[in-house]
Amino acid sequence: MTGEAITTSGLGRVFGDRHAVCDLDLRVPTGQVMGLLGPNGAGKTTTIRMLTTLLAPTSGSARVAGLDVRRDPARARRHIGYVPQEKGVRHLLTGRESAEIEADLHHIPRRDRDRRVAEVLDLLGLLPDADRLVSEYSGGMQRRLDLACGLLHRPDVLILDEPTLGLDVPSRRQVWDHVRELRDGGGTVLLATNYLDEADALCDRVTILDRGRGVVTGTPAELKRKFGADVVVVRTRQADRLRQVLSGLSWVQQVKAVDDEVSVFVADAPSALPAVVAEAQLHDVAVLRATYERPTLDDVFLRSTGRAAEGRP
Amino acid sequence: MTVTPGRRSDRSVPLRADRFGRWAQELRALLRRWYLQLVRERAHLVLTLCQPAFWLVFFGLGVGRLVDRATVGTDDYTGFILPGVIGSTVIGSAISGAVPLLWDKETGYLHKLLSMPINRGSILLSRLLFQVLVTAVQVAFILLVAVALGVRVATGLPGHLLVLLVAALLTVALTAIFLALAYLGPGHNTFFTVSGFAALPLLLASNAFVPLAAMPVWMAAVARLNPLTYANEASRLLVLDGWRADLVGYLVGLSLFAVVCVAAAYLAFRKQTGGST
Repeated sequence: MTGEAITTSGLGRVFGDRHAVCDLDLRVPTGQVMGLLGPNGAGKTTTIRMLTTLLAPTSGSARVAGLDVRRDPARARRHIGYVPQEKGVRHLLTGRESAEIEADLHHIPRRDRDRRVAEVLDLLGLLPDADRLVSEYSGGMQRRLDLACGLLHRPDVLILDEPTLGLDVPSRRQVWDHVRELRDGGGTVLLATNYLDEADALCDRVTILDRGRGVVTGTPAELKRKFGADVVVVRTRQADRLRQVLSGLSWVQQVKAVDDEVSVFVADAPSALPAVVAEAQLHDVAVLRATYERPTLDDVFLRSTGRAAEGRP
Repeated sequence: MTVTPGRRSDRSVPLRADRFGRWAQELRALLRRWYLQLVRERAHLVLTLCQPAFWLVFFGLGVGRLVDRATVGTDDYTGFILPGVIGSTVIGSAISGAVPLLWDKETGYLHKLLSMPINRGSILLSRLLFQVLVTAVQVAFILLVAVALGVRVATGLPGHLLVLLVAALLTVALTAIFLALAYLGPGHNTFFTVSGFAALPLLLASNAFVPLAAMPVWMAAVARLNPLTYANEASRLLVLDGWRADLVGYLVGLSLFAVVCVAAAYLAFRKQTGGST
């Protein structure tokens, strides 16, 4: 048997003549946190809808916990914990009622239900507020309640869609801690996110989607090495001139100029910075400011989706 | 750790295995959710219950004075419009019965529900059952008010129960239609526009307040296409006339109509939500 909690091959979904997801091959090993990154509209949500059996693929196949989502959706759902990004109508229920109802909908036997509900609420630190109405919860508490509900039946695969969207920093960190605990407990997590720092902090591996296609896959460290060459950023009024000067030098991998800012991709930014400045001076280019950045997933993202020019900060 | 298809890993919480038990559990949970959502909105609850009675009192006692008994065929105009008031209550109930599903769809909770291992039909069934119960309480209250206003139902207590049954069948049919509108339609604007537009013609192009015989021919023809007309006829027989053989036909017809509406709504729902159970 495979050691993969999620496998897709050639997965695709067409809406009319728009290819929302196209020929996607995903592999999520059991016990890992896998990040699904991509700009809005890249196909993350469509992919998740297919994996959670909400949407039938128009091509290819997807297996969750070894079960084909198209042929065996009813059984696949028993293995999935899904935490959508939307809040849902629950404001008139208490946190405990909300969790009890979801436990029943997952067919957790009545004799275990109340104990299990208390367990997950406690795990997410919500037990003291369990009997308050959800409408009185803060955004962070609601998110933690969503997460608690996703854990009720201890799913083999937890699928989180933008779990920290709109949360303040402490709440985000709290959610991250819970996801890590979950992974350490042997659970598999698929996490769709817009936040690259989140992916960097949480994910064992990430796949970047763009226009419905998987562009790159790897560990955050691998991808940063592969795509996010160190960057020296120079501010100058002669950006185009500096770009021409630097292009073609052996130690420069790539140069981009946007307005008065030149980004120079190099192997080692700290040592390249003085070299860039020296080169500029040699060709009479006045440097207003020079800094460097070590790679982040942002760079991987921007370069792999080909949107560096419009997206560079 | 390896994954065996269909077998949940050892860390899993044991789940209920028997099919019927699972189904009963999910239905109970959904009904509980609908119930809690209704009772926590007090003002909504009280008005929902009381509004039809206002109709009966103000419309029945007020307009009743203007009505020619020869047209209506009875002295008891309040008794005459009782089925109409029940019918209008059922229309209102059917529309509000679809609203929770509409919000679940728009807030994304429907996706969550559908990602759970429940039968797709349970969501519709629980809404239909719940709305039938709400309508039953409303209609029982209307009947109490009617009795207080001096209406004497010709068929006695069993007749009251059959009036409830007629209201229940019509509720099932109309709620199914509005549920379909809620999840097939593009959003709440369309839903409220269409349902608001449909409610009044549905009520007025029926025999709710005017007998078919008193209508212009074309209007009577339209009213005969309206399911509400048949529910009104059935209830009116029970309230004003007593036991009549025609009742059987009306009840069978309404039951078939309800079955067709529910089946159509279910099939459309299945198609819309990925096809599988």
